[in-house]
Amino acid sequence: MSSITAQNHTSTDSADSVRSYPRFLWWGLGEATNGGLRFYVWMFVLTAISLVGANAWANQVAEGMIITNMTDHVSWGLYIANFTFCVGLAAGGVMMVIPAYLYDDEEMHRIVIVGEAVAVAAIVMSTLSVVVDLGRPDRFWHLIPVIGRLNWPVSMLTWDVIVLNGYLLINLHIVGYLLYMRYLGRKPNPKWYVPFVFLSIIWAISIHTVTAFLYCGLGGRPFWNTALLAPRFLASAFVSGPAFIILVMRILRITAGYSAPPGPARTLIQIIRVAMTINLVMLASEIFTLFYTGGSHGASARYLFFGSHGHYGLVPWIWTAIVFNLVGTILFFMPAALDRSTVRIAACVLCIVGIWIEKGMGLIVPGFIPSTLHEIVEYTPSLVEWKVTAGIWAFGFLLLTVLLKLIATVFSGEQNAGKAIASSG
Amino acid sequence: MIADDNSSPERQAETNEGWHLPVVDQPSTRRTAMKTAGAALGLAAFGKAISPLWSIPENVSVDEFLQQHYKELSDKDKQKVFQRLEAESRETYGAEVTISDPKPVPGVRFGYAINLSKCNGNGACMEACNKENNHHRGIDQSYIRVLEMSKGSMDMEHGTTTYDHTVPQDDKFYMPVQCQQCENPPCVSACPIEATWQEDDGIVVVDYNWCIGCRYCEAACPYHARRFNWEQPEIPAGEINPDQGYLSNRIRPQGVMEKCHFCLHRTREGRAPACLEACSTGARVFGDLNDPDSDINWVLKNKRVFVLKEELGTQPNFFYFFDS
Amino acid sequence: MANVRFFRHQPDDTSAERQKSALPRWSLGAALCSLAIAGVGAAMTAEYSDDNESGIDVPGKSVQADSQPGSDDSGSDTGTSTSNFAIEIRKPPGPPRVGTGLKNVDGTEVTVACSTCHTTRVPNHHNKTVKELDEFHGGMAFSHGTVSCLSCHNERDYDTLRLADGSRVEFPDVMKLCAQCHGPQMKAYEHGAHGGMNGYWDLTRGPQTKNNCIDCHDPHAPQFPKMRPTFKPKDRFLEQPRTRH
Repeated sequence: MSSITAQNHTSTDSADSVRSYPRFLWWGLGEATNGGLRFYVWMFVLTAISLVGANAWANQVAEGMIITNMTDHVSWGLYIANFTFCVGLAAGGVMMVIPAYLYDDEEMHRIVIVGEAVAVAAIVMSTLSVVVDLGRPDRFWHLIPVIGRLNWPVSMLTWDVIVLNGYLLINLHIVGYLLYMRYLGRKPNPKWYVPFVFLSIIWAISIHTVTAFLYCGLGGRPFWNTALLAPRFLASAFVSGPAFIILVMRILRITAGYSAPPGPARTLIQIIRVAMTINLVMLASEIFTLFYTGGSHGASARYLFFGSHGHYGLVPWIWTAIVFNLVGTILFFMPAALDRSTVRIAACVLCIVGIWIEKGMGLIVPGFIPSTLHEIVEYTPSLVEWKVTAGIWAFGFLLLTVLLKLIATVFSGEQNAGKAIASSG
Repeated sequence: MIADDNSSPERQAETNEGWHLPVVDQPSTRRTAMKTAGAALGLAAFGKAISPLWSIPENVSVDEFLQQHYKELSDKDKQKVFQRLEAESRETYGAEVTISDPKPVPGVRFGYAINLSKCNGNGACMEACNKENNHHRGIDQSYIRVLEMSKGSMDMEHGTTTYDHTVPQDDKFYMPVQCQQCENPPCVSACPIEATWQEDDGIVVVDYNWCIGCRYCEAACPYHARRFNWEQPEIPAGEINPDQGYLSNRIRPQGVMEKCHFCLHRTREGRAPACLEACSTGARVFGDLNDPDSDINWVLKNKRVFVLKEELGTQPNFFYFFDS
Repeated sequence: MANVRFFRHQPDDTSAERQKSALPRWSLGAALCSLAIAGVGAAMTAEYSDDNESGIDVPGKSVQADSQPGSDDSGSDTGTSTSNFAIEIRKPPGPPRVGTGLKNVDGTEVTVACSTCHTTRVPNHHNKTVKELDEFHGGMAFSHGTVSCLSCHNERDYDTLRLADGSRVEFPDVMKLCAQCHGPQMKAYEHGAHGGMNGYWDLTRGPQTKNNCIDCHDPHAPQFPKMRPTFKPKDRFLEQPRTRH
């Protein structure tokens, strides 16, 4: 672990690392608040939306969740729908890690940190989505082992809490370590992050599998009680995650001039093509099983796709999602998608929105309609729920922007200084 | 991106000797001043945005915040908790109540059965539950839901809870559904913090002061037995049932789950649950499954009994039967 | 002449859709009184071997207070097995009396017993329907299968009832008569599966009160009356009431 450059570091590296850390954080804060007018406008708007969301949530905590549109019949709604999608987004980052580390894709190696930053932001968004859904967030400490009473391993929610926090820590460590080493001008020591990277590959699969297990283990909800739910989640995560990363890369290129080589995006597109096909095949399999057999097992699907007993609330949502997913898939398979083109961007946007609907409103809400006693009580999110969710997304983007700013500064700073540190470590 | 004053590590290395607060070294440029102003403004805006939260400490005392799980409270702790709750009830609702904590009777396992030949769907049980359990008055909440089902079918898809005509209709039968106090309860497995568990007499209870309101148990229950307090319950002082149990019918706080508890503040004292006493047609049978001579065991032995959603493996302690 | 009211303790309202409460209002007083005398009653009932105060007589089975189902002292866990509380079964006080519309000196109504008139008349075995009844009983509803009046009413003493074998049954013991034909219901009743109860499921800790058959079933038109549900769930976004689908 020797230092390469002529920095103010001598032999006691670890002591220096610790002492320099606050300075690193301060540097990060300064860096994160630097930019042109466009940047400040962007951050200001995001902050404003976050504050609107925070205020809406504070009202919800004070007045009770009665101001949402959730009921004893549909007791989970937009928040958990968003949570499910965001976990998928976080898991999608693994599709950059695998080519970079398992297959030694050099070009991917240099930008995999973007995927990890997205993962951090997405995990924060999913955690926030769950926290705002709690009836008593003041009792969060009950979840902490030892001082609270964590019902592990029986409750799937405890598994979810553990794996999500673990994934956040893993990715924070990787991103933080790489950034910090860059800041210190040192070559990152593989021993300190590569094991975590490999761990994150397995862990990413686990976060979305565990999230799926939350739903598919419940016998009382036949719409969810299918073995195919976890594979479906993973397949759609490996579409939405990489698609989101492609969009982020495009924005980085436009705003920061940070240009990645074309190879990694192509790899991601190839992955998306396969994953989306698998996702559609699984969806078709679900639809066949539900509709061909019929009976009360398919009651939720009937409500979702065609309406039931005079209630049609979700029909426009799901068909929009189906159309978006199909069109997006077709666009992904077009040759133009492999180049930097509008086709690629359109495909990404369509698939992200389509998957958000299909996995969120199109999975969580129909699980509750009809209720376990076969009553139909419909649900559309209230204004409070939309505000809070918008606030969560805005905060996630804030966090992502800060992380990407640091990453971009570090990378472009290196390029400017001509430092030839091979491989992003 | 253009690096700012405080960005480059090299610059900082040059200007610093040893370690001290970085903020001292910042040159006061316009940008820094604006950033500081922006940060102050942001913090103020944040404080204003979350200002509704400041009302929480009024409603949640420090003792309540720190209260441990029911199973970890000593008897003395419990006494303090009950006194606190009784005082809160006096303050918030203007009612004098007594909170008790009856223990399960050793050797007793409760069972409940409904005679579907007798139930005529009049809903007196729902009303009795509402009154006994100090439910929120706004929506006529109750732990029981009575389904009007078509004769010849057990499919709840053809059932309805909102019928509003003379009962019984000739082509219908009526099925009240409430917590089945399952032997294998999915809600207990779901709860991430053990706020709900099954006691020795079979009743699945909730510690209202431990629940965080995640509603996973409500998603897990196949019988729509669980209710969530979406808001602070409103009950006129005169209608409050003062005979309350800690794990049963005390007035629940906002944001926690609740469910039918077989009126354990009554049944553990040997009394019948409120719904059974209110039933106009005598369709309800309750007793001790471990007592071979109990009414419930007679029903299980002599009537053709079934349970709801048996294929889910929940093993309810709640049974249904017809007369012949 | 005033309408004969057969069950003086029943409310006057005979509309089909009356709200039925579990027990008539004064039963609370009766239940409390019976609780008070329960401890003494055990000693007192010992004097009455047949017609005990708190038990019922079923043909072929003499049921005493302390051998009611649930009060079995052979399997009790508590150890205090012998001192179970009683199951109190409500009983009509006696034969119904006819209101004459006239008033006594103290303002109470003058009533006559059924036998006052019926001892002066020859019993008419052909009377099977209400149409064939003259003078009193007019307006009475009757739909109890195809039994004739004198299948239950005792022609030798209109202030009592009779079983199929002609033996006499006092009005307070009317359940014996009901049980004669409705055995399955009586069996279920004895085990709490018919007719409900108020009080304690655990008879080692408190008593139970049960209704008499005729508290719910008018003997002349015994079908349980239709009711109107008055308490419905008013959940948010739940459509009220559900249209037929």
